[in-house]
Amino acid sequence: MGMAKKTKSKASRPRATEKASRNGHQSARTPAQQRTYTIPDYRLEKLSIELRQVRDGDTVRYEVSGDLSAPAPPIRDSKYLNKQQCIEIYRWMLLNRKMEAALENLYKQGKVVGGVYFGLGQEACSCASAYALKPDEWLGPMIRNQGSLLVRGFSPRDIMMQYMAKAGSPTKGRDASSHFGDIQERNVVAPISTLGDLIPVLAGVALGARMQGKNIAVMTYIGDGGQSTGVTYEGLNFAAVQNLGLVLFVENNLWGYSTPADMQFRVEDLAERAIAYGIPGVIVDGTDACQVYDAAHEACERARRGEGPTLIEAKMMRMKGHAIHDAAEYVPKPLFEYWKKRDPIARFENYLVNVKKWLAREEHEKLIAGIDAQLEADRDFAVASPMPEPETAVGGAYCEPGCHEIKPKYGVPNVKTGKRGISHRAESAVHLK
Amino acid sequence: MATLTYLEAIRQGIWEEMERDPTVFCIGEDIGMYGGAFKVTDGFIDRFGSERVIDTPIAESAIVGAAFGAALTGMRPVAEFQFMDFIGCAFNQITNMVAKAHYRWGAPAPIVIRGPSGGNVHGGPFHSQNPEMYFVHAPGLKVVCPATAYDAKGLIKASIRDNNPVIFFEHKYLYRRIKEDIPADDYVVPLGQARVARSGRDLSIITYAAMVHVALEAAEQLSREGIELEVLDLRTLSPLDRDAISDTVRRTNKVLILHEDVRTGGIAGEVAAIINEEAFDSLDGPIVRLTALDTPVPFSPPQEEFFLPQVSDVVREARKLVSY
Repeated sequence: MGMAKKTKSKASRPRATEKASRNGHQSARTPAQQRTYTIPDYRLEKLSIELRQVRDGDTVRYEVSGDLSAPAPPIRDSKYLNKQQCIEIYRWMLLNRKMEAALENLYKQGKVVGGVYFGLGQEACSCASAYALKPDEWLGPMIRNQGSLLVRGFSPRDIMMQYMAKAGSPTKGRDASSHFGDIQERNVVAPISTLGDLIPVLAGVALGARMQGKNIAVMTYIGDGGQSTGVTYEGLNFAAVQNLGLVLFVENNLWGYSTPADMQFRVEDLAERAIAYGIPGVIVDGTDACQVYDAAHEACERARRGEGPTLIEAKMMRMKGHAIHDAAEYVPKPLFEYWKKRDPIARFENYLVNVKKWLAREEHEKLIAGIDAQLEADRDFAVASPMPEPETAVGGAYCEPGCHEIKPKYGVPNVKTGKRGISHRAESAVHLK
Repeated sequence: MATLTYLEAIRQGIWEEMERDPTVFCIGEDIGMYGGAFKVTDGFIDRFGSERVIDTPIAESAIVGAAFGAALTGMRPVAEFQFMDFIGCAFNQITNMVAKAHYRWGAPAPIVIRGPSGGNVHGGPFHSQNPEMYFVHAPGLKVVCPATAYDAKGLIKASIRDNNPVIFFEHKYLYRRIKEDIPADDYVVPLGQARVARSGRDLSIITYAAMVHVALEAAEQLSREGIELEVLDLRTLSPLDRDAISDTVRRTNKVLILHEDVRTGGIAGEVAAIINEEAFDSLDGPIVRLTALDTPVPFSPPQEEFFLPQVSDVVREARKLVSY
C-alpha cells in the first residue's frame, strides 16, 4: 500500500510574493467605486481666476491672475418667461438700482442714519429670483436683496424710511436698512445682522405650512461669506433631511466685506456643497436675469411638489464696497472691469431692446420716466415724514393680550390622533438620577 | 385626580395642549421614537404621529430657528433641549432672532423652549447648569422655573398658550422626586405670578425651583426653634412678580434670597435691587444672598455638595439674619 501523494493546490498556501501580486491583481480588476454627481451649470462662460495676497513694495494687496479678456456672453433665453414678464423683471431691476442711487444721494445729503448697503451688480439675482415666488409663499431677504423686497410689494419709500429711521418705517424706527418683514400680506421674514440665521427660520416656515397641509416654496439667500457660518449648515441640513421646500440662493459675489471667496472655502463652486446635503445643486450666471429666474422657478416647482430643497449658486461680483463707507480699494481693478462689462441691467436692456426687440425706444424711455417719477414721489414723502417721538422706544418687547391673534395661515392642521393613552412611565431614562 | 410626579405633570400638560390645539407640536432630539431622554414625551408619537412629534438632527440653532419659522405661520411649537446646558448652542437664534422679533418687526413668536436644568444629580459641568439668567437678561423672552408638580403642569400649559417665547426650565432633580395630586382638568397657572409656598412672620426666603424644597425643609427645622420663615416661590423669573416681592418684605422685614444658580449675575442681585427700589423702608436688616459658588458645577459628589446651598446653610443664615 503506497501513501497517496498529497498534491497541495497553489491556492492553499501561497508564497509571500505571490500573495501580494494576486491581491494587487484583484484590486486592479475591481477598482473602488467612483461616485458621480452632476451639478448643472447654466453659465455661458466660466471664469477661472486666482486671487492671492502679494507684497507690492511697502504694501500687501490682492493680485488676480487668470484670463479676464472674454467679452460678456449673451443672455440665455428663458424657458419660462414671456415678453411681458421679462419687461416686468427688468423694471424691478431698474427700480432696485435707481432706488439705491437715490439712497446714496440721501446719504450724501446727510439724511440717512448710519450706513447704506448696496446690491449693485446683483439686481438680476434679487429681482428675478423673488419673481418666481407666489404671493402666499415666503421670502427671507439678505442685506443686498432690497430688489426682492420691492418685488414682494414693499415700496422704495418703505426702504428709504428705514434708512432715515423715520416713525413711518416698517419697523417704526426700531431697526435699520432691510431689517423688516411682514407676516400678514407680503410674507417676508425680517433678517438679523448675523448671517445664515434666516436659513433654519425659512425651513421652519415651510414646515409650518406643510403641517397645515400645503407644500410651499420658501426662498432665502446667503453669501459666499455668510455660508461659512455653522447655522447655515444646521439650517440647510435640517431642510434637507426634513424634505422642506427651501430654495436657497447662494450669492457668490466674490467678497465677504474685504475677504475674497478664496479665503472662505476651498471648493471650486459652492453649488458642490449641495452634494453634502443630498440635495440638487445648480450654477447660474447671477448677472443673467433669465438664468436666475429659470433656476428659481424650477426650484420653487420642486418645492411645491414636495421634493425638498434646492441650492442655487449665482455667480457675480459685488460692485461696490461692503457698505457706503467702504471704497473697496482691495478689489483688483482688472476684476472690477471684467464684471463691469457684465452689468445685469445693461445686459438685460440690450437683450430686451436690441436682441429680442421687445422694448421699443419710447416704451423704454416711458418705463424709466415712470420709475424716476415714482422714486421722486417716494423720496419726497420719506424725507418729509417725521422722526419718531422719543417715548416710542418703549413698549412692544412683548406681545400683550389682545395685540396679536395667532391663527394658522394656511388652514387648521388636519391632525390624526392615535388611540394611545397617556404614558405612566416613571423610570429614569438617563444615567443621571 | 391622580398623584403624579413633576415630570408626569409636565407630560400631562403638554399632552393636554396637543389634544386641544392642533397647532401645538413638539420638536427636538430623541423626543419621538425614544420619548425623550427623560421620557417626558413618552407615547406622544404614538398618539399624535410623527408629523407633530419631530425628531431632529443634533442642531440646536436649527431647532430654534425652525420653531420660530413655524410660529410665523401660526403654529405653536414646543422645542425640547435634551439638557438646558446645550442652550448655548442656540444662543444667537434665541436672543437675536426670536427675542427681538416682536419689538423690531411686530412678529410674535409663540414658541416654548423647554428642557431639564439644575444639578444635585452628579451631572458635572454640562448636565447640571442653571442657564436661566442669560435669558432673563434678554428683553422679549419669558423665563419660567416651576418648583412643584402642580405648577409645572399649569405653567407649561400657560407657556404654550402665551404668544411670547417662553424658556421653560424643568429642574431635573425634581423630575421624579416630588409627587402631588394633580387635577386632570384644564387648569393654568399664570406666568409672572409668584406663590407664597409657606407663610411666616420672621423672615422671607425668596427662591425658586429645587431650592424651594430646601427652603421648606429649613423652615420646618427653624419652626421647632420658634422661627417662622415665609417662603416665596418666584415661579416666573421674567417677568418677575415685583408686587409679591415687595409684599413679602413688608410682612417679615428680613429677606434671604436663595438660588442654585451661581452668585454673580444670579437673580438674587436683581431681586435685591427691586427690594431696594420698592420696599427699602420695610427692611430691618441687610438682604442676604445664599447661592452656589461662582464656578462651573463640579462633578465629584463632595465638591457638588459644597457648591450647592444646603439646608444647613439656609438654617444658619436665617438664624443670623433673624437675630440681626
